[in-house]
Amino acid sequence: MAPSRLGHVMRRLDPHPGEWIDRSLPLGFTFEGREYHGFSGDTISSALAAEGVTYLARSFKYHRPRSILSFANHDSNVLLCVDGVPNVRGDVTPLIAGMRIEAVNTHGGLALDKARILDYLGRFLPVGFYYKAFHSRRYFAYWERLFRRMTGLGQVSLHAVRRATPKRYGFCDVLVIGAGPSGVAAALAAARAGASVTLVDEGMRCGGSAVSHAPLQKLIDEVYQSASISVRPQTEASGCYADHWVALVDRVRLTKMRAKAVVFATGVIEQPAVFRNNDLPGVMLATAALALLSRHRVSPGRRIVMIAANLEAYEACLALSAQGIRVEAIIDLRSQQEALDADAEMQNCAALGMEILHSHAPYRAIAGPDGAVCGLDYGPLDPNLRVDSRKLRRISCDALLMSVGWAAAAQLLQQCGGKTRFCDSLQQFIPDELPTGTFAAGRMNGVYEIAARIADGERAGALAAAHAGHGRAGDAPVPRSTRRPSHRFPIIDHPAARNFVDFDEDLQVKDLENAIQEGFDSSELLKRYSTVGMGPSQGKHSHMNALRILARARGISPGELGLTTARPMYHPVPMKYLAGRSFHIERRTPLDSDHAAIGAVWMPAGNWRRPEYYARTGENREQSVAAEVRAVRNAVGLIDVGTLGKIEVYGAQAGIFLDRVYAGRLADLRVGMTRYGLMLDESGVIVDDGVVARLGQEAFYFTTTTGGSATVFRELLRLNAQWGLDCALVNVTGHRAAVNFAGPLSRDILQPLCNVDLSEAAFPYLALREACVAGIAARLLRVGFVGELGYEIHVPAGRAHELWQALMEAGRTLGLRAFGVEAQRVLRLEKGHLIVGQDTDGLTDPIEANAMWAVGMKKPFFIGQRSLKILAARGPRQLLVGIEISAAGRLPRECHLLIRDGEIAGRVTSILRSQTLGKAIGLAMVVPELAASAGELAIRGEGGEMIAAKIVPTPFYDPQLLRQKAVTAA
Amino acid sequence: MNQLTLQLMNERARVGCKGPRAAEWLSGQGLAIPAGPNSYSFAPDAYGGLVLARLGSSEFFLEHDAAGDTLRRVAAGIATWPPGVYPVLREDCGWLLSGVAAEAMLAEVCSVDFAALDLSARPVIMTLMVGVAVLIVPLSGASDRQYRIWCDPTYGSSLGETLQRVIVECGGAYLGVTA
Repeated sequence: MAPSRLGHVMRRLDPHPGEWIDRSLPLGFTFEGREYHGFSGDTISSALAAEGVTYLARSFKYHRPRSILSFANHDSNVLLCVDGVPNVRGDVTPLIAGMRIEAVNTHGGLALDKARILDYLGRFLPVGFYYKAFHSRRYFAYWERLFRRMTGLGQVSLHAVRRATPKRYGFCDVLVIGAGPSGVAAALAAARAGASVTLVDEGMRCGGSAVSHAPLQKLIDEVYQSASISVRPQTEASGCYADHWVALVDRVRLTKMRAKAVVFATGVIEQPAVFRNNDLPGVMLATAALALLSRHRVSPGRRIVMIAANLEAYEACLALSAQGIRVEAIIDLRSQQEALDADAEMQNCAALGMEILHSHAPYRAIAGPDGAVCGLDYGPLDPNLRVDSRKLRRISCDALLMSVGWAAAAQLLQQCGGKTRFCDSLQQFIPDELPTGTFAAGRMNGVYEIAARIADGERAGALAAAHAGHGRAGDAPVPRSTRRPSHRFPIIDHPAARNFVDFDEDLQVKDLENAIQEGFDSSELLKRYSTVGMGPSQGKHSHMNALRILARARGISPGELGLTTARPMYHPVPMKYLAGRSFHIERRTPLDSDHAAIGAVWMPAGNWRRPEYYARTGENREQSVAAEVRAVRNAVGLIDVGTLGKIEVYGAQAGIFLDRVYAGRLADLRVGMTRYGLMLDESGVIVDDGVVARLGQEAFYFTTTTGGSATVFRELLRLNAQWGLDCALVNVTGHRAAVNFAGPLSRDILQPLCNVDLSEAAFPYLALREACVAGIAARLLRVGFVGELGYEIHVPAGRAHELWQALMEAGRTLGLRAFGVEAQRVLRLEKGHLIVGQDTDGLTDPIEANAMWAVGMKKPFFIGQRSLKILAARGPRQLLVGIEISAAGRLPRECHLLIRDGEIAGRVTSILRSQTLGKAIGLAMVVPELAASAGELAIRGEGGEMIAAKIVPTPFYDPQLLRQKAVTAA
Repeated sequence: MNQLTLQLMNERARVGCKGPRAAEWLSGQGLAIPAGPNSYSFAPDAYGGLVLARLGSSEFFLEHDAAGDTLRRVAAGIATWPPGVYPVLREDCGWLLSGVAAEAMLAEVCSVDFAALDLSARPVIMTLMVGVAVLIVPLSGASDRQYRIWCDPTYGSSLGETLQRVIVECGGAYLGVTA
């Protein structure tokens, strides 16, 4: 059912020059299932208001009816679900034909929301009630579900279509945030000095709230004509970061703007008065009423009462009256003496028949049958700013406007390191310390009169341009306003509460007072406990009033409390803008197309894509993997290992350098030989491993793990710069391809393609040769990772395809098969070789990994040596052991726990079934006592079942290393 | 004139070297060495010119038309391991980006303000493009700027696909391999 209407209180007025709507373009849309019409140029809220829709949403906690408050994206009263997209802000979202709009956070629709009963249960739901009442573990899940259902905002659809958005970097000399009078003037001043300027504003047009000022309009026209100024309306500065990096969000994209200087002309945010029922539909800020009227020609009501505490209130009344809207009365919180700054405007208002009541305040707004405001009880204020409830008077109205003060929109300035201080005379925080290259102007800077705002903008713009290297500027400040635009305490107590401070979170005065009484008496604590300012509008309309309540309770000034920390984002930003196009860059070896051609099934390995196995017709995954393993064990296999990190070290002290970064001794490595290398960090933990080869007296070549290449290279560069040794590092990971050609037939197949003698005597195990293979300059490393006679062949990336094809052709009739990562995992586990990062973790040292054979403790120094000595003295906390499972059935998985006497005694790090050995084998990290016992143990399987296993020595396969050393083949 | 085009230029010859005496040795080969780090020299010739980029202080990247023999000669010299000169294998993947909208397209993928570059200083830009480390050599074209973009070849296909997508979204065209 659609929400009620009441005699079209709000309505569209006749056309007027300067209106933003295009009446020749009517737009149809639905709201809560009912059809409405607006015009091009309307926002959703203005169109609904013009159609006389009384209320547009329900509040977060008490489900009270809500309507327009700020009409400026400073509150979240009007959050809507538009075409399935939740939490769209109706006040600032342009209307589009055909929109299907629903309210959010209702149970049964906006009008008949069942959850509105919560409004009558408020006394059972004080601030922080959930901390105190629902902490029982037993019922926590129940209460959590209930609260999540009853509160909250829109629901995210899990079936929403992903919308990739472009993202862009932007650059300019001067970025001006805010296109009000000061922002426009700043942009022009900077441009005149020769700077390239970007001027952004949340609004649809330049001018800010001062839309009918002739001199300003002239400046705006000049801005649009300037070739040096890029104007970006409907663009939010969502976050300010270091070095003048500002996130700009428009309707299409996020722009990462880098400016040489930034001018903050962000203005001020109008603050509501706090009194009972100040949230009724029809109660709104004066700026909202003026914007509705001047831009969209929507009358806020027929009989208006203004709650005033500044000059702007009277100016608003005169503007409304000029449009034929009757203002019944002005309830001014100030005495006549305090209001003298608006003396002329007061006289004009009085002359128009408006009743002006000084030193009076609203006591409570009265709701009509439809829930919207229909009157106001008000009374005289005593010196303690309390209303004498015995002297109340009632006035009828259909709109209640508030103009009692402002808060500086200084959040963005604070985000980039700006400091503020409280100015008692203005009752406003103003900029105090500005980071280099940032400048503030306008009302945020405490300058309120329009001519002064323009002058202040010109000053800031010229300074910003000068900072960016354009022109010179003095720093003669523009005087701040001498009048008081904000009331010091526009907050009226009421025994029945419902005097809302934070409209997002339905927080009332008593909620904050109770929190303060409970000891949450600093601004940061009060915020976190009461959640004031933590809703979608992030305190834009509530923070100052909450500070004033806290300051009164503590008997101090708001300035002594200070503002809470402002963090990005300034407004909520849809995640799609942050994700952008969501670039997914994948690394591919030069043999990628060769793998694809023979049926590679891909798997991710870090940011690489690698063949997991090669699918063949008539084989399933397990059969293909098993066949690939058999090929390596019985004939020959070929795997692309180009993903390994590949680094060269040159120079007279290259050996010394490697001796320091690797745990093993390498300086004495003979030219033409290789050695296993283990890299530790300062705490003695294994961080990488690989094979180190010596190409010449002053040249080494080594491999790293696939995932570790970039990190290792970066760290080695750092160490090289730190140590200042005579050596240079070259990362050739991507520039050099590599394959492992392994199996008992590998030498026989490779020899005819190769110009060096591959015999055991000429090219023994662990040797290195530089040779030509199939006419390609190559480095051959005789290594045994998979436990067979084999050769790693490294060639320039551009020749990898030729090499692969030559080897495949040479072995085609001899049982050669390409094998993938899964087969390699089987082969290496059969040999008991560990994989860094899988069989080790962030705490594993070489003692625990049984890798001390690769450590040269007698060396004078290597990274991690000192820690390793300490660890050796302490003894291991765990040890890597081999395990085997003889029984058939489901295997445990990696990370499953080993149990002994009911206690955790270790975990599986690698496990799989070996066809070669006819049993399941694995590696496990176990407590030392268990490792020493070499006995039976149990592993808790996936379903909780206990699987019997036993500790066995490694390698599981060919423990004498005869095959990889080719002893049988020799 | 095209607004925006991208061409693959993997066929160009690339050579690299580094070391404390690399600048001196290259100079001895008759090549003009850029005075400052992160800048390049351009030697016009019948093959369209040789680019010698200085990366940092002691590393160099040279690229030239494959038909020219200068780089073959330089590569052969480096392979003899002159003292203080170390070979740097360069198998980079490369593209040529050109067109009046090139800077706008680059702003979608890279955080450097290319429009503000002073090409008379012949700058070499080493930065990240959609997360991939790239080496960019901006050149003055007949009517617009041209950017030679080089990256690790293992990122080449993925980066190339991404750039093609962005180019097309920006209204440009992918022209394949350089003629």
